Amino acid sequence: VSIRFTTREIGSLAKPSWRVKAFAGQPLQEADLEEARRWGSQLAVSDHERLVELLASGPVDETQLAEVDDWAARYALALLERTGLDVVYDGEQRRTEMYDHVASNARGFEQRGLVRSFDNKYYAKAALVAQPALDKPYDVDEYRFAAGHTTREVKVPLTGAYTMVDWSYDEYYGSPGELGGSRESRSEARRRFVQDVAEHVIRPNAQALVDAGCSWLQIDEPAAATRPDEADLVVLGFNVALAGIDAERKSMHICFSDYSSLWPAVLELDACLELQLEFANRDSRELGTTDEARPGYTHTLKLFRQQGSPGVGLGVLDIHSDFIEPAELVRDRILYAADALGDPGRIQVNPDCGLRTRNWNIVYEKLSRMVEGTRLAEHALNG
Amino acid sequence: MMPALRAFVPGIYPRSAGLVAATRDLDRGRTTAMAVAERVERDRLALIAAQQEAGFELIVDGMLDWQDLFRPLAERCEGVEARPLTRFLDTNTFFRGLLVSGTPRLREPVPVPVLPGDWLGTLPSPYALARAAGGAVAAEVWAAQVLAPQVEAWASAGAHLIVLDEPFLAREPDGLDELAAGLAALPAACPLVLRLPFGDAGPLLPRLLELPLFGIGVDFHATALEALPRPFPAFLYAGVVDVRSSVVEDAISVARFVAELGSLEPHGIALGPNGDLQFVAEPIAQRKLERLGQAQRALAEAA
Repeated sequence: VSIRFTTREIGSLAKPSWRVKAFAGQPLQEADLEEARRWGSQLAVSDHERLVELLASGPVDETQLAEVDDWAARYALALLERTGLDVVYDGEQRRTEMYDHVASNARGFEQRGLVRSFDNKYYAKAALVAQPALDKPYDVDEYRFAAGHTTREVKVPLTGAYTMVDWSYDEYYGSPGELGGSRESRSEARRRFVQDVAEHVIRPNAQALVDAGCSWLQIDEPAAATRPDEADLVVLGFNVALAGIDAERKSMHICFSDYSSLWPAVLELDACLELQLEFANRDSRELGTTDEARPGYTHTLKLFRQQGSPGVGLGVLDIHSDFIEPAELVRDRILYAADALGDPGRIQVNPDCGLRTRNWNIVYEKLSRMVEGTRLAEHALNG
Repeated sequence: MMPALRAFVPGIYPRSAGLVAATRDLDRGRTTAMAVAERVERDRLALIAAQQEAGFELIVDGMLDWQDLFRPLAERCEGVEARPLTRFLDTNTFFRGLLVSGTPRLREPVPVPVLPGDWLGTLPSPYALARAAGGAVAAEVWAAQVLAPQVEAWASAGAHLIVLDEPFLAREPDGLDELAAGLAALPAACPLVLRLPFGDAGPLLPRLLELPLFGIGVDFHATALEALPRPFPAFLYAGVVDVRSSVVEDAISVARFVAELGSLEPHGIALGPNGDLQFVAEPIAQRKLERLGQAQRALAEAA
């Protein structure tokens, strides 16, 4: 059987400067117009001159912002298509950020200010102050637009319930701030929090997406391995969110964690095609397919092999570096994984995570080399 | 009888909205390092004023330009590069793991914070440094080659206390021997308090109390009061303000809890946060700091 790996992104891309400035109400410079012109031309975005005209016509008013968003989504789709990916989305161009996107669309969350994630990166952290709920699904229009502007398969990333809980303060279920609270009471509060967000926020949105035609739901759980003793809550969040939802493919993305604690709990994920994980961040940049050459992959792939399930979304691009992974390095990472798993059929190929922290020139080069390296790996495996 | 009581806020303090914006702009090439430094200075002065207002005797600078607990030391070490993004415990924050080539050695100490009056500094424990480097170099080496000259530098510049943050040990108690070897390699130039953020200190305390430490920092949001030995033969840093919660503590409840600690007969008590206040946004941190001051005052009045 001939091996053919599916290549795809994970989620977010940086927003173009013209999109950022338009939404911030800042004046656009010639450099912003040139960026729109250059990428529109390079990516062969049809009618992109209309965007340039819109941006050049003066300040972008509120009625035009939706149009700017549409253009950003079209550019992102075109960028991903041009790199040769099999599965694409819109780079989450319409979303503020994966956590805030859900918190601001759901009921029950209130913002509590900016908290540092690392270096000079911060995120707006909210507190749950009331029963979580949803007035209406928040990703359907986004999905319909993306699906209507590409011929490739579409995969929709959705922030998972566990991550929403872990990244929020709890001012509703638990008794935060109470000195000497028991471990059991805190644990029960977390379980109810996960269950309710999954059932009342994530599930109705996911159901609406599938009703609109979406075939692939990717639940993003970057917090999944944060607390080793809560792997069962991660599984609970996934299973409750997607219970009864008839999507063709369901998968989970996790990154920047020690994955050891996820097993055996992840074996209980209902109909989960694969775990898309970050590996390249912790790998060497040397070529080779030995354990020594591939330190970022060795340990975790052993877990996949030992446990036999699920499939692996193999992260082969370090998304926190401008280093352009040569195609041969991507090839070797895939070949190593194929050998380590003993079954190349369990592997699909992606970056470690969303590429939002890299500029589009870097993204284009990285993803293009990823696709090229994937073809090299297939060639090597298929003889 | 209630032992001598203090309140202070070691560790990294959150950046104000203005400083957050400035650092983001710096990353995007929209401002200069000098403009960010000026903004850091404004935040630092505001934090000093807040501590003075709260009645703190030992002042901190908030480590506002520290990118993580390890970075300033790593950047001043030979043979150390801070690179892989690594999750900090079970939080949604990350530090740059340390890649070591050869023996790390501190080229120059982290500068002395410019603070009015008595002050304290915060550093990673030798075991924390070893863990941040993935165990490539023993805690004893980090202590002798990196932390010892740093402690000496701050002690000679007037530090009244140095808090050694040790986030990993409560999750891996097998590291106690390595921590002990590291602490033995540190100079006795300044009182050292080992703080254990976000972890149950109970099982570690019997052994920690035998180590050359002036005091121990206990997270009382993760450690039961009953887990502490009686008497408690050291200075007790009581992590009573929960930096992982947005709820601002009630000063009277905190004071009541701390009053109970007096029965342990420690050599002194400090009230503080159970970890770096940077886990909450700056306006919340400011209110939590105020509550610490209020609790301290309530206890002093009750005494």
